[in-house]
Amino acid sequence: MEDKSTERFGEGYLEERKLVPRWPAPWPQIVNTLFLLVVFYITWWIFQDPRGLMRMYTPYVGYMYTRWILIVLIWQVYLFYYWPFKRSQLDNWHPLVKATVMTFITWVVLMVLIKGVFEGLLGNLSMAYFNPAQLIKLPGVTEFFAIEYAALACLMFAAIASWLSPSWPVAMEMAPWQDLKQPVLGITVLICTMFIATIVYLCTMHSHMGILYYPWQYFSSIAPPYWEKFANTVSGNFHVAWIMCCTIVVWLTESIWERYPFRIIKHDWTRRIVSFFGIIAIAWAFFFGLYFAQELWWGPAIRGTRRLFAPDWRWLHVGEMMVFFLLPALFLTFYCRNWPTKYSMPVNWLIRTLIAIIGGIAVYWIYYNISPLTLGTQKGYSHPQQFPMIPTIWLINLMLINHWFMDNWPGWKKVKESETT
Amino acid sequence: MATEEKQGMNRRDFVKGLAAGGAAGFIGAMGIYSYSPWRKRHFPKVVSKNIDIGECKSIKITNISETSWFNNADLMGDIKGAGGLLVNQYEYNWPPFTEKNGKLGKGSYEKGIKEIKQWLPNNLEKAHEFQMENAVHPENAGGYSCLIDVELLDGSRKKILLDSGWSYGWTDKCFKREGIDKMLANKEIDRLIISHEHFDHFWGLPVTMKYDPEIPLYVPDGFYPEGRQYIKDSGHRGKVTYVKPGLHPIFPGFATYVFPIPIICRVYGEQSLYFNIKDKGLVSVTGCCHQSIIQFAETARRNIKYEKNYGVYGGLHISPFEDWDPKYDDLVISLGKYGFEKIGCNHCTGIVTAKKFIEAGYPIVKGTARFRSKDTAYLGNGDTIEFKA
Repeated sequence: MEDKSTERFGEGYLEERKLVPRWPAPWPQIVNTLFLLVVFYITWWIFQDPRGLMRMYTPYVGYMYTRWILIVLIWQVYLFYYWPFKRSQLDNWHPLVKATVMTFITWVVLMVLIKGVFEGLLGNLSMAYFNPAQLIKLPGVTEFFAIEYAALACLMFAAIASWLSPSWPVAMEMAPWQDLKQPVLGITVLICTMFIATIVYLCTMHSHMGILYYPWQYFSSIAPPYWEKFANTVSGNFHVAWIMCCTIVVWLTESIWERYPFRIIKHDWTRRIVSFFGIIAIAWAFFFGLYFAQELWWGPAIRGTRRLFAPDWRWLHVGEMMVFFLLPALFLTFYCRNWPTKYSMPVNWLIRTLIAIIGGIAVYWIYYNISPLTLGTQKGYSHPQQFPMIPTIWLINLMLINHWFMDNWPGWKKVKESETT
Repeated sequence: MATEEKQGMNRRDFVKGLAAGGAAGFIGAMGIYSYSPWRKRHFPKVVSKNIDIGECKSIKITNISETSWFNNADLMGDIKGAGGLLVNQYEYNWPPFTEKNGKLGKGSYEKGIKEIKQWLPNNLEKAHEFQMENAVHPENAGGYSCLIDVELLDGSRKKILLDSGWSYGWTDKCFKREGIDKMLANKEIDRLIISHEHFDHFWGLPVTMKYDPEIPLYVPDGFYPEGRQYIKDSGHRGKVTYVKPGLHPIFPGFATYVFPIPIICRVYGEQSLYFNIKDKGLVSVTGCCHQSIIQFAETARRNIKYEKNYGVYGGLHISPFEDWDPKYDDLVISLGKYGFEKIGCNHCTGIVTAKKFIEAGYPIVKGTARFRSKDTAYLGNGDTIEFKA
């Protein structure tokens, strides 16, 4: 019988596992790309596509589930180190079995979270806007918008959680609780990050939601909100944008940047604090930079307009653009072993960043040219009910499942240490 | 030796630190600059093209119907049931495009038109009867349409029909109420302008065709193949102009502007109208104004020669389903800066928006809430508004 105290679950699993390509490059990359695209398209058609089966791209319902799936995946791997799965199970189960079982767990947690915590607990006991059944009681609100508004509130919370959940392991290195065992460690960091997320939500998103229920909740939130003059809009999309930038910068830091330059700071707490706030600083630079890029490309935003010239859409689009950069960055890390690796770290860092930027621009161009045909969306950039973050994050979720749960199957296989030597 | 190595390491660390700090500082400075007032130096100065569209003496607008649907809950329930706001409008099995025992979200243009084509445009009663028996929520369909009576500077008049409603039954009834049927039959109406392809503005097209199948038709470029085919299938025999994005002067004092924008329910492109009233200023007339009234006013500022903003009529697409979003408040807050003196809004503006406009002190022209219009906060069915010197 295994000693419980020595069970490591998935601690260090991603770094320690040996993945060997089944064929010479670029075949594994091509095979996995095709595999991901096929799975993406099938699942997109089943769950999201406005022409497909379940049509969850209403848009907010599908958007909410997409975002929360991402967060639950992060929790499972980065906060809980795959707990309750034992290391032997991670090592020996077939990738398809692992993907099936672990994605099922993702779904269970997702349901508990959305239906139990947000709709059931918060929606019934705290803020009505988390629960469609409560919202529908408001005169004039239709069932459709009750569901959409509730999904919007949940997904705004998800935006914050998707930044803070990976921030703690990546920037704060799980400190000060890094020596705790699972599941205590996971639970502790989860509570900590969700506590901070709640405060951030109340300060950044609650006013957005409050405005929806004029006049009563207008006065229970700070509305018009404090960011109105600075952001040139009362919309919470201003916050969604910088928070999305933070999320993406966390992942760039963890993937293609290999935590450089923060890792050169030797003192533990200095490194952690600088990492955490440095990520925010870099994110804000992207945040303003990409807004400015839109002003140069399309002209200055005009408050009160809709679509392309609306400040709220421009802010949202900052976040959308950032997600486009993340796709090639993750691909480089997951399937190209963070190529290139032969130069000094600053040079590698620079080349990979350039690849991510160029790749992101390419994906952006491809998306806006083919999505009406392939994803069932409308042509044009600024449809008020279309969110490129839904398909991009949906694809990222599949990439994470493939990399974290499936050991890059089918292009790669996991081998034992002895087999690699 | 050990000291040298240590010094070497320190130098390397120093250089690395300097490079990292420099890069961070550079990115940070760029970020700050990107949202500083200095960035505005890079924006090109807006110079109006000052296109002269001429002037007219006055316009009088008759609201034929602004009630596109009668029950929000039913409409949104259908949208929800069919899969949300991105689903193709021709799939709903709403009237007139319904198959026998039409199921929500399972229809298509081809299946729907097959059932009614034989009756278009001269036996609409039969087509309407079929829809009432087979479509999803047929009783909920209304429609949007208005008549614009323009007085030119020489005293002559031109009449323009903007949009053609949705339900055949409701649109025909409204046309008869306002005498549009006779005007069409007598060729008193010069042209039909379709603002966009949405069901409630365009699907009642055969009703206009019933009375004047040769009427010149202006539709925005961006119509989907189903919409283009429907123009033919509805019995239209006159000239169709697919108006490209941009400004299109039609006759002195009147121009349309097409915005190439994506719209919910898989629609693309919207056409709105400008009238330049002598000694008063510009009047913006819209179907739904998905581009936003402020964008419409800004577009005028950049393109047209006129004195000032004077008036607005039509749907302003703010809270069509009595929903709300903070960005709508951006519009409510900003509209005051544009100096409109007379605002006759209705339809997709939303009652809640009209009330917010009134609270904000904007010059809203109130209505009479007749013929199934719900509130006096805006111009209802059968109400009129005049813009004149």
